[in-house]
Amino acid sequence: MRTRTTDTYETSRREVMKNLALGALVAGSSGAALTGTLASSARAAEPAPIKMAFIQFQPHTVSSAWAKGIQDVLSIQPKFGFQLLDGQAKADIQISLMDTVINDGVNVIFVQPVDSVGIGPSIKKAARKGIPVITLNIDSTAKHAAHIEMNHYFGAMEIANAMGTMIGGKGKVAILNAPPGIIIRDQRTNGFVDGMKKYHPDVQIVADQVADWDRKKAQDVLSTILTAHPDLGGVYGVNDSMALGAMDVAKSKGIKLVIFGNDGEKDALEAIEAGDLAGTQYTDVFQQGRFAAAVATVLATGGVQASAFAEQGHLLMPYVIATKETVGTIQTYQRW
Amino acid sequence: MKSVARIPNKELAIFFIVTVAIFCSLSPSFRTGENFENILVGFSHMGVLAVGQAFPILLGGIDLSVGSIVALAGMVGFDGFLIFGLPGAIVIPVMLATSVVAGIFNGVLITGARLQPFVATLATMAVYRGVTYAISGRQLFPELATRSIDDDLLLGLDNYVGHFPYAFFLLLIVAGLSQLLLAATRFGRDVYAVGGNREAARLAGIPIGRTTAICYAISGFCAGLAALILVSRMTTSQENLGIGIELSAIAAAIVGGASLQGGTGNAIGPVIGAFLLGVILIGLNLVGITTYAQPVLTGLILLGAVYYDRVLLGRRRLRLGKSQ
Repeated sequence: MRTRTTDTYETSRREVMKNLALGALVAGSSGAALTGTLASSARAAEPAPIKMAFIQFQPHTVSSAWAKGIQDVLSIQPKFGFQLLDGQAKADIQISLMDTVINDGVNVIFVQPVDSVGIGPSIKKAARKGIPVITLNIDSTAKHAAHIEMNHYFGAMEIANAMGTMIGGKGKVAILNAPPGIIIRDQRTNGFVDGMKKYHPDVQIVADQVADWDRKKAQDVLSTILTAHPDLGGVYGVNDSMALGAMDVAKSKGIKLVIFGNDGEKDALEAIEAGDLAGTQYTDVFQQGRFAAAVATVLATGGVQASAFAEQGHLLMPYVIATKETVGTIQTYQRW
Repeated sequence: MKSVARIPNKELAIFFIVTVAIFCSLSPSFRTGENFENILVGFSHMGVLAVGQAFPILLGGIDLSVGSIVALAGMVGFDGFLIFGLPGAIVIPVMLATSVVAGIFNGVLITGARLQPFVATLATMAVYRGVTYAISGRQLFPELATRSIDDDLLLGLDNYVGHFPYAFFLLLIVAGLSQLLLAATRFGRDVYAVGGNREAARLAGIPIGRTTAICYAISGFCAGLAALILVSRMTTSQENLGIGIELSAIAAAIVGGASLQGGTGNAIGPVIGAFLLGVILIGLNLVGITTYAQPVLTGLILLGAVYYDRVLLGRRRLRLGKSQ
């Protein structure tokens, strides 16, 4: 089933080339117009009757997998159109894109907010126009149709439990963290800290440092932490990239560390199978996208108003704590 | 007809209008009043930042710290409104004062400590961002992160006259005053003199230190105004507000005709540059170009704009040179 993933990448690459060609036409016609001959043949394809847009936080393996899951569901019925937009990790750009898709007359908006409060006025604007908004992973304080997220807090608690058990219930561990200001960071960190307190009170969290979600940065940060704490027993990366960075350090220094990540991306699962990574919290992100799309299609076509979800629909995704013993249960088609 | 020939950024303005016309012809959603409202409200803060950025660039310098100043001023506002519960009449001046002080500090580092503007503002970019994290009410009182600011005066900025947002009028005032300052005052002449030839300016007795400090203070002040606009739209602020926005502001200023060598440019071009960025971003999305192709196209269109502007400028200079 590996071919399926390759196919997706192929398709998206072809899509990019196609769009670059269309864009060249735009740029070209802009050049032509300057010399006085406006090319009017460049026209975008006719819009589909029901349009949906997904405004990502920024391009990432997780949001690509959501987009793939959303498209899986929408592609069953040809009447749905789908567009993926890049929030560039900037709250102001994301708000601007929200305004743009609202004006473009989309029927449903999926969004992974850069800021929970900042996106609020745009969500209210969408609500006034009767456009349901579905948030992914990061909730908004403004009332909207549905919210579907990974189970950050409880997942991280279980990671703490599993890690503590693996290092024998005592010792020192470190957290490689995301920059402050993102709610996921707090949920995962709190879950891990509370989990350690609850299950393994003798395990000390000796360091909690920012490694920017990044594999390379995580290598540098962990090397520094190891200088101060050469007897470190475990590392929790709040995403897989940082855990993989920690794994690189452990490998190159030839030391044994119990390393856990979070998310469950393909590379991390392979590292678990190879025995280099102790574990991660795996969420089927394709499924998360499909669920969001299922909600969206009901809202868009079922004659159901977003307000019918009197209480905001709120789903925490199920997860697997993937370790060497359990990673085999995650099928190839579920890996993203 | 001399006055027509002297209209600044004529070429850029034509490029801008043509780009808008093309997107209008390609997308029915683009040619709506609401879309122009969205572009105006979404990129007025970028215009203000670009006008501010024009001052250091006119001096032959650069201000990389504006994104961090936006976040710092925003966080001062966040703390003022949500932690201390102060009214806008107090918080807004404090936000602006903070941003001016941050700008003056940049100027002092550059003139007093004789640091390269690139190095000095690269350093303060990190410092101001760090201070923002340190004073962040979102960290000190996590429950505030989910509360919105509801100050009437501040949120008043997020209102409209017809399709025109107040933020756009603020931008017009900033750009107009800046252009007046540059074109009709002694300070303006000093800026061009220092940017054109620093040594000659020094020999002519122009106060280089003071001029530099004022330029960076203006850049900081504009960052504070941009923070006001952003906070009024978002009803909150973030530690990572404005990350990378300095590069967009610099791009807008350069597309708007400000030369990185200093001494060339004005305060009107950057406004067009900023809205060109907005038109391209929103236009490409409405035409339905995928996200992954957009940065490439944005870069190409900007290169086209700068190239077109410079080529025509070069030709005109050549013509002028021959006629003399």
